[in-house]
Amino acid sequence: MESQSSGAAFTRRGFIGLAGAVSATALLAACTTGGGSSGGGSAGVIKFWNQPWGGTTFNPLDKQITLAYKPPKGLGKATYQEIQWANFTQTYSSAVASNTGPAVSSGGGTQAFLFESQGKIAYADHLLDSWKKNGLYDDFLPGLIDTLKTKNGYAAVPYNLDMRVMWYNKSLLSKYGVAVPTDWDTYVAACKTLKSHGIYGYGTYAGAGGFTGGHNLVSHMINNGGGLFDSNNQPNCVTPENIEAMDWVLGLVKNGYVDPRSATYTAANAQAQYKALKFGMGWDTGGLASNVGGSVGNDLVVASPLTGPSGKKGALFFPNNIMMYTHTPSQKGSEAFLTYYYKNMAPLWTKNTGIGLPPLKSIAATKEFQSVPNNVKIINEWQPISKTWGAPGSNTVFLNVTTVDGTPAMDTFTQGILGGKVTAKAALTTLQNTLKANAKP
Amino acid sequence: MTASTAERLNRARRGVGVSGHGPGAPAPRRKSVISARAWTLLAFALPSLLLLLLINLYPVIYAGIQSIRNGDLINAGDFVGFANYASVLSSPQFWSSAQFTLIFTISGVFGSWAVGLALALLLRTRIPAGNVFKVLLLLPWIVPVVVSATSWNFLVATPQSPIPILFTALGMPNVLFLASPVLAQVTVCIFKIWISFPFMMMMMASALASVDVNVYEAAKMDGASTWQTFRGVTLPIISRSTYISWILMTIFCVNDFPTIFLLTGGGPVNSTTSLVVLAYRTVFQNFQVGPGVAIAFLMTFVLVVISVVLYRQIRKVNVE
Repeated sequence: MESQSSGAAFTRRGFIGLAGAVSATALLAACTTGGGSSGGGSAGVIKFWNQPWGGTTFNPLDKQITLAYKPPKGLGKATYQEIQWANFTQTYSSAVASNTGPAVSSGGGTQAFLFESQGKIAYADHLLDSWKKNGLYDDFLPGLIDTLKTKNGYAAVPYNLDMRVMWYNKSLLSKYGVAVPTDWDTYVAACKTLKSHGIYGYGTYAGAGGFTGGHNLVSHMINNGGGLFDSNNQPNCVTPENIEAMDWVLGLVKNGYVDPRSATYTAANAQAQYKALKFGMGWDTGGLASNVGGSVGNDLVVASPLTGPSGKKGALFFPNNIMMYTHTPSQKGSEAFLTYYYKNMAPLWTKNTGIGLPPLKSIAATKEFQSVPNNVKIINEWQPISKTWGAPGSNTVFLNVTTVDGTPAMDTFTQGILGGKVTAKAALTTLQNTLKANAKP
Repeated sequence: MTASTAERLNRARRGVGVSGHGPGAPAPRRKSVISARAWTLLAFALPSLLLLLLINLYPVIYAGIQSIRNGDLINAGDFVGFANYASVLSSPQFWSSAQFTLIFTISGVFGSWAVGLALALLLRTRIPAGNVFKVLLLLPWIVPVVVSATSWNFLVATPQSPIPILFTALGMPNVLFLASPVLAQVTVCIFKIWISFPFMMMMMASALASVDVNVYEAAKMDGASTWQTFRGVTLPIISRSTYISWILMTIFCVNDFPTIFLLTGGGPVNSTTSLVVLAYRTVFQNFQVGPGVAIAFLMTFVLVVISVVLYRQIRKVNVE
């Protein structure tokens, strides 16, 4: 009995010890980052993560360009990973925090500044210096590179431009004898005529995932010489220029020139209204015509920038960018890959993948790009007068921009204005207080 | 000596079985030493316990630490004590979100229960193609919420949507189902009831299936009306399943992120921002991890309290 018991006990202990060891090994394996010291991948491989910036053809072509990279001797190849927009902040944050993230990536327009504040971004100064020698630097549209400059260096490199511009339906305006507006007063007059035919003159949207409505409001502020941040990159919303701009929009709302559902329209809802010929004019991204498509898409034309009451022109734009991370197998490798990528990325535009406007003059000059008049107009007329979120204090992007770009504070402000039940000053004061509470010193 | 009826009933209320075992029984004499067999069993269970602790407890502890620090998505930040909880609890947005969460949960739980129970009772009757209906009625629960939300957006969002067209035909033009703060709340709650009633229907149908038909026949013989039978017989018999389904649906509603976020994004002007949406937006749009996690912890605390209260109700039902 005793021997039996001993034997059994020994077997159990042995089994338990083995099970414990296996569990511990499995747990340790699960807890490791898997990348050792080379988070960008083994053998110096450069991990490139990119978003779906265009239609279905964008990422396959982008992958093809990436994988065709032949690195200089001693540097690693590049791998490609498509990152969906859904929850992309979480995807990048968790990857960067666990050192399993990319060496090079695109992402949200303010992402580089968020990670820069956390010491995770490799500045692009050295890369840009090298581009000054090979001509790439001078190929960028004027002033574009400096929009991404921080006090410590360049946080990222411009990749594609996301513009907020004014659109109109040429057939509708022609049908009802409406002249294309050139300033705020003629815009109101055009809206009045369109309303008499049951058409809204100010098409916009600020519903689930629709941040464009808020972008448009800031665009009007910039048009009037205003904006949200001062020269110290601190929020400064309650200014006469901003109040005047928001009063102008509130006037449009109260006169019934804005669809009362706009505050909760998604991008798809707004496009449906253009298709249904209920929106005769509106404010949207540079890709509106292709998103609406069909015969109505062909009728949609980009207007010239309006002149504001102060005699100024201006709009909001987003220099979407590509950033490099400190966690890379080789900074030299990251820079070599980006140099290759920028020299070879033109097909993303010339093959009409749907990506935003190009940052390089050489791409904008191609016959394929020039064959789309709306895009040409945006590059020629809107890009030079457009400013970043930093306006009027600066024309750069910085950490405090993360307090407005796609945030609840901006959503609430936008939906309040489009709902028409607030005053401009009260809405701007609420926005100012929230931004101030959330701002980084 | 045999126990009297009163004694037996008293023992039953305390949960003491015939054998003397049960929660209300006198505590047995405790053994001073844990047996070798118990140690062995514990050792066998230890790897699994460790895994469970790591999988479940580690994230909770980590989140707890985050809630008392001022970190971001990457860095832990400095210790700030309960400042995040204090700032959250003093925020008007938190309380308005809590209010909407309450409305959303109450309407979601009882609305879906009422519809689910009604349909479960209806499906007990012999109707042609009953099984087909059962499958069709399950669709709202089966279909991914992304698809449902897109469909509901199509149904109500624009003037060309079917439901606004119907309302216009009925003489009610310009009903802003999503753009009016109050109507947006109503629309989201109805959407939640629509998504959730199949679950309640299944729970109630299985509870009703366990009811002995003789009970109904006895009630009929006693002259009870249909309503009296429902109130006096059906509801008490299925009460245990009802409480369980209420607990589950309360948890589903309080934690429901996609239903709200996909349909309204929490708008207009935060009118449909529930606590879970607020927590998400605080962490991932404002990048304020501490306050966001504090909101999540406060939600969890309230959920645990509600669950405990309802579980006690279930135990009471069991004893009775």
